[in-house]
Amino acid sequence: MAAAQEQPFTLAVPDADLTLLRNKLDLVRFPDELDGAAWDYGAPLSDIKRLVARWKDGFDWRKAEAEINKLPMFTRDIEVDGFGTLNIHYVHQKSQVKNAIPLLFVHGWPGDFLEARKLLPILTSNDPDHPSFHVVALSLPGFGFSEAPKKPGFAGPQYAQVFNKLMLALGYEEYAPPLEPNAFQLGVHAVHHYGHKHVKAWHSNMPMSGRPTLFSHPLIYLEALTLPFNKTASAQLEQAKKWSIKGRGYYLQQSTRPQTLGYSLADSPVGLLAWIYEKLVEWSDNYPWTDDEVLEWISIYWFSRAGPAAAGRIYYEMTGGNSHDVFEGTKWTSVPLGVSYFPGELVRLPKGWAHMIGKLVFESEHDKGGHFAAFEQPEKLAGDLRKMFGKGGPAHGVVLGKNGYD
Amino acid sequence: MSTWAKPFTLDVPDADLELLKKKLELVRFPDELQNADWQYGVPLADIKRLTAHWRDSFDWRKTEAEINKLPQFTTDIEVDGFGTLNVHYVHQKSSVQNAVPLLFVHGWPGHFLEVRKLLPLLTAATPDNPSFHVVAPSLPGFGFSEAPSKPGFAGYQYAELLHKVMLFLGYEEYVYQGGDLGHVLGVYLANAYGHKHLKAWHSNMPFYRTPSLLSNPLLFLELLTLPFNKVLSEQLSAATHFRKKGMGYFQVQATTPQTLGYSLADSPVGLLAWIYEKLYKAVHNYPWTDDEVIEWISIYWFSRPGPAANVRIYYELTGGNAHDMFEGTQWTSVPLGVSFFPGEPVRLPKSWAHMIGKVVFQSEHNAGGHFAAFEQPEKLASDLRTMFGREGPAYNVVTGKDGYA
Repeated sequence: MAAAQEQPFTLAVPDADLTLLRNKLDLVRFPDELDGAAWDYGAPLSDIKRLVARWKDGFDWRKAEAEINKLPMFTRDIEVDGFGTLNIHYVHQKSQVKNAIPLLFVHGWPGDFLEARKLLPILTSNDPDHPSFHVVALSLPGFGFSEAPKKPGFAGPQYAQVFNKLMLALGYEEYAPPLEPNAFQLGVHAVHHYGHKHVKAWHSNMPMSGRPTLFSHPLIYLEALTLPFNKTASAQLEQAKKWSIKGRGYYLQQSTRPQTLGYSLADSPVGLLAWIYEKLVEWSDNYPWTDDEVLEWISIYWFSRAGPAAAGRIYYEMTGGNSHDVFEGTKWTSVPLGVSYFPGELVRLPKGWAHMIGKLVFESEHDKGGHFAAFEQPEKLAGDLRKMFGKGGPAHGVVLGKNGYD
Repeated sequence: MSTWAKPFTLDVPDADLELLKKKLELVRFPDELQNADWQYGVPLADIKRLTAHWRDSFDWRKTEAEINKLPQFTTDIEVDGFGTLNVHYVHQKSSVQNAVPLLFVHGWPGHFLEVRKLLPLLTAATPDNPSFHVVAPSLPGFGFSEAPSKPGFAGYQYAELLHKVMLFLGYEEYVYQGGDLGHVLGVYLANAYGHKHLKAWHSNMPFYRTPSLLSNPLLFLELLTLPFNKVLSEQLSAATHFRKKGMGYFQVQATTPQTLGYSLADSPVGLLAWIYEKLYKAVHNYPWTDDEVIEWISIYWFSRPGPAANVRIYYELTGGNAHDMFEGTQWTSVPLGVSFFPGEPVRLPKSWAHMIGKVVFQSEHNAGGHFAAFEQPEKLASDLRTMFGREGPAYNVVTGKDGYA
């Protein structure tokens, strides 16, 4: 039986892996491109060429690795019913404030645990004016440095089980997870299974829901009828529709044939770079990505423990191979929910619709920031969490004995 | 600009073979879920086996020599707004002087070699069957034709190019056979050059728009009975299943072909998996040999514009997924023949074929799939012979060329 206790984790990519990457980059073969294509057909050739050149000569993985290792990282075995044990990797940064609120940060695709990085110093700070948090940021199974499930069927309830068991193992009977898209879908499952008893409140920056119907949500439905006259809401729905036509290729591929795509992502660093870089740019709000930021991000996928093909499978598992939506088996819950709206987010539903997901207690709107809110606008996101859980906030004191202040 | 048909010899540079070998030696495979089989995509065991075959056993030069036995040419064709494109094609004439000129157009992920097994059958000189002169091009962006260099090369541009190839070869009037995108382009050719030049055409993947109340009221009304109509439901089940489970590639290629292109250009294994999935799933019990698969993939790997260019056709034909592939076309009365093969994934009610054009010939088979010309050349050739033969509904459509000596 593998060690169930926590082991400190140090990232140390083998030299052989670095050599293989270098050898592959030396053999890169680029595609052609249409004149004046810019971003119309996908990631532009000049961007990719520049990034590859930097990756070959300039980007220093060992330096990036050393920085990552400054974070308090651990692994531990988590048992998931029907799936045996999975060795889970996570960052666990405690605050000096003893009664800090335990918070679980969950990344999505194509994200990783490092998205929590910029939030850590803010959320764990010891400041009498703001609540403090103990932050746990895991690599999802199949991503980063966590093991991947070995059998089919690892879906919403299983991810939720990992989250809950991890927090319990760390001594956090009650906790609050903020969530990021795709992770939002996981959060819905976490809340469904462990809401109230363990998950005391939750937060999202990309709340999603189905359309209201007259029977499911009569008031919201009636309000939706006035949508054609509500300019902002109309524009937002137009945007969502546009994304639905132009931006969901990756979704359909990963939710139906992730393995077929996986051969490219595992074998070609350039292929992987383009596949993810496209999202980093399209889904963020004019974030001034440096080449090194991009390459570090891609490297987490390239050097991931399970390999780059495993991550995409989450879309297949969560949708039953595109036979249902990701919310299958969940419903509205009264666990307090906070939402933050960032302008660059992919899917922006009309404001009232968040009520269809859960008991909305906190709402905040920003003028800057996109899908990767924690990475792009950490102060704004941390600010929202502080307001939601701070003194006078709607979720203040939800976790028994840990209200964030000493 | 070449105004003559320049004989073409396929001769992949040694450096390209070297690069491929090196890449195959450095391959990194993904993991796989236990007992996944084909559920999540191509199985790892298949890809490992095919990769090993490609690296260690497959003889490209031998394959190349065989391909070069086909009469291949290139010529420059001018397309309005796009300058000239150098087009590669097979042109096999029959010994029968008045053979019917036939343009064979492949689709995706197909290529010009799909015509290979049809050639001896269609060009044969027999008194009982009509003969054909066969022209089988590499579509722009595929095989050994140049790719367009600017955005906007869509249905009517492909049609213009294909039509001009036939004119260049002296075929003012001709007939046409296509499946997959070859079928789609046939619709464009029928719209642009039907009757005057394109005298009749045949498709082994007949499909068009979904019936609407205004376009096809009877079929539309029939569609409304779907929840209660078991027969119709069954007929649509293959298409419905394909739409839900099999359209990932379509959506990616119609919206972000360039992003996908980096993988296809850089990773032979990635390209292999991407295409082999279709080769395996769309055929009907076809016993692919590893050599056949690798030869097929090699055409893409060694293609003149590279493997990223071809997938753009999905973007261009759909305006970046903004509309269907038939934008700007309509029903035409150009005589149309259709063949139904049981393994075709895009299988629709037979009655829907009438929405495409004036159906004069219909044939149904009990074997064969999407790559009909490759899987069941005798059946497909037989259909063409029947359609264009003495007793057939499209006999003698091309002036002075009825296919008989």
